[in-house]
Amino acid sequence: MTAEGAYDTERLCNRNHNTREGATKVSIAKSALKGVTYYDEKKASGGYTLFSTYNYDVWLIDMEGYIVNHWRMPYSPGSHQWLLPSGNLLHAGMLKSHDEMGLPVEMTAIGGVLVEVDWYSNLVWKAMAPYSNHDICPMDNGHVMYHSYNPGGILPDDLARKMTGGIPGSEFEGQVWGDMVHELDRDGKIVWEWKACEHLDPVLDRSCMLENRTLWPYINSLWICRDGNVLMSLRAANEAIKVDYKTGEIIARYGKGKIFHQHDARELDNGNIMILDNGNHRPFYGPNYSRVVELDPDTDEIVWEYRADYPPDFYTPVCAGAERMPNGNTVICDSWTGRIFEVTYEGELVWEYISPFIGYQVGMTTTMMWRAHRYLSDFPGLQGKNTDPKRFPLENRLFGPDSFERDFVPSVF
Amino acid sequence: MSFARTRIKGLVYCDSRTAFHGLTLYTPVEGRAVMLVDLLGKQVNRWSLSHDAASTAQLLPNGNLLCGEKSGDEPLADLEGTGGIVQELGREGRLVWEHRDPALHHAPFRLRNGNTLVMKWIEVPDRIASQVEGGEPGTERDGVMWGDLIQEIDPDARVVWEWIAHERIKPEDFRRCPLCPRDTWTHGNGCTELPNGNIMVSFAKTNTVAIIDKRSGEILWHWGSNGELAHQHAPSLLENGNILIFDNGFHPQGLALNYSRVVEVDRKKREMVWSYEGPEGGALKMLFYSSMYSNCQRLPNGNTLVCEGMTGRIFEITACQTLVWEYVNAFPGPEKATSPSVSRSYPVYGAYRYGHDYPGLSGLKV
Repeated sequence: MTAEGAYDTERLCNRNHNTREGATKVSIAKSALKGVTYYDEKKASGGYTLFSTYNYDVWLIDMEGYIVNHWRMPYSPGSHQWLLPSGNLLHAGMLKSHDEMGLPVEMTAIGGVLVEVDWYSNLVWKAMAPYSNHDICPMDNGHVMYHSYNPGGILPDDLARKMTGGIPGSEFEGQVWGDMVHELDRDGKIVWEWKACEHLDPVLDRSCMLENRTLWPYINSLWICRDGNVLMSLRAANEAIKVDYKTGEIIARYGKGKIFHQHDARELDNGNIMILDNGNHRPFYGPNYSRVVELDPDTDEIVWEYRADYPPDFYTPVCAGAERMPNGNTVICDSWTGRIFEVTYEGELVWEYISPFIGYQVGMTTTMMWRAHRYLSDFPGLQGKNTDPKRFPLENRLFGPDSFERDFVPSVF
Repeated sequence: MSFARTRIKGLVYCDSRTAFHGLTLYTPVEGRAVMLVDLLGKQVNRWSLSHDAASTAQLLPNGNLLCGEKSGDEPLADLEGTGGIVQELGREGRLVWEHRDPALHHAPFRLRNGNTLVMKWIEVPDRIASQVEGGEPGTERDGVMWGDLIQEIDPDARVVWEWIAHERIKPEDFRRCPLCPRDTWTHGNGCTELPNGNIMVSFAKTNTVAIIDKRSGEILWHWGSNGELAHQHAPSLLENGNILIFDNGFHPQGLALNYSRVVEVDRKKREMVWSYEGPEGGALKMLFYSSMYSNCQRLPNGNTLVCEGMTGRIFEITACQTLVWEYVNAFPGPEKATSPSVSRSYPVYGAYRYGHDYPGLSGLKV
């Protein structure tokens, strides 16, 4: 596979073959319509959407679904990318999969290398980040915060014995791996480090009863709050925590008993915390669904929620995230099925995009994407950038709005 | 809402050379109706129900419909699957037979002798309930854990046989889901009669399919509670002796990449011999999931009919997993959703395909 460089036309076409109706012979009802399937220009917040599926391509599309930038990355993504205010792209690259590293499936979304490229995919910065996985968080000072399955975070035996929850006996080779959080400077030096097992409470931060005890607490998102402290989503412990940047202490816990295997905890401009509550292993028996919740950090009460009118219509057991836009809308990445959509504060759908791309992850051919980001036209990183879709005639012919059927006609023969 | 994925309704795909020819009976969760459609998705018959449907209806060999419904005022209406009314309806919807019992739940099954098998909630005595592990303490229903009672009733509603789960199951044999509330223990969600007269039953909350000896009441075979199944539905015995199960994949063990499967299990070897885990040989798992409801049926030509209940999607695949028929329920919504505000899935409890030679279809104009 070429790293940076020319487009691999044949590969793009092959992928297209996979995604066109007729080639995928199952679930036509769920896969026939692709691209931008709905757009209310008046109510949507506008801007550009950044996403990648599990291959070497990163895409920026406009609201109509035209491809306005296409990055070719030297590494396939472990998780996702951020467009930086400088206009560069920060990418969590994957060196080896968890399988190749001999790690269990829980330790997926593994990375190993952080990469920054410019608008034209030229490498600007690269740093090794062993065992890094899931989220990366660019910091105002140019540093990058990431978290890892570094073996240094493995729980000491006495703590592993005290740790509650999880399926008994399901440890990984007898051990419970713990997460670590690291801050890298521009020279690739670690300047700050946090070890989950030194701060978590084995009872208070109990793991889900149906998860394996391979990994705890399974961090899957990082966010630097305005007060400089770090908000983390703990997937196995079904909660988000705020860690004091100076002392490393856990100063708050959010969402316990309300969110299940959640992702993407962030602080909003109003000070509330927004979390994508995936909802798998929710302790109830009924139709499963995902939702986005906004929590008041003082009371831990849910003050806003989005779920589909018929809740099972939005369900993503993995990854996913949500971003609040300045106009109050929320852009949601329905990762599992490769769908990005925008809803108003009242929950009305105003934009929807179905990714036509196929990637490879966790041993599956997948429409999955890790997380998507929306950038408004006034975002500093987009200033002076060429966003003319005509730069990408081939990509737009294959995956642009004109390449998809608008209406569906059943096949009968 | 998902506009793209809920917009396409009705017939989606039909390969009439490979699909099993016949009519498809399905029971929408909402709208009080049972539908009979042909291979082109055209409605051939529609039964209107007097109450909300509670489970998958069946077409009997005499042409009548056997269905479970809920009055809505059952004292245990909050327990999933409760439906206190069993009705047999003629082709034009005339009430032929009815049995009411507020503790009934899930689908009734008509036996070959003309009697009917029904499932009922029954209180699990405290001394047994306290031995049942799994679930957060305090999530019992008003302090009570409900179990399963299976009854065979004759046309006059006399009980001629019954089987009480908590008298036959040791709590340690059927491991209960640790995440489900303790309001029910085994939570049976369907039972059928096997050719030798024994009873096969599916218990959702212990992730178990079990075969009960009709004479002795003993459990002859059970499978699934060691992580193999996750809140499955609708086991059926195949001609080759294997068992076909819709494994919903709700509350699965370990990393929860929730997806559904249709699994065929060799009873003696206790292992899976065939499975369907979504499109492209299971590669696109994310396109096949129904946390609740659903069923599957092996057809005479070797194809398998699958009902992905939560989304109201019914499809047929060959043994090689090629799609040959797909249909999406729109009832009671609009037939074509033109705006996202009305675009949503309309769930279905389950579906059965009946060949044109099925006695229950004789005399029907197609």
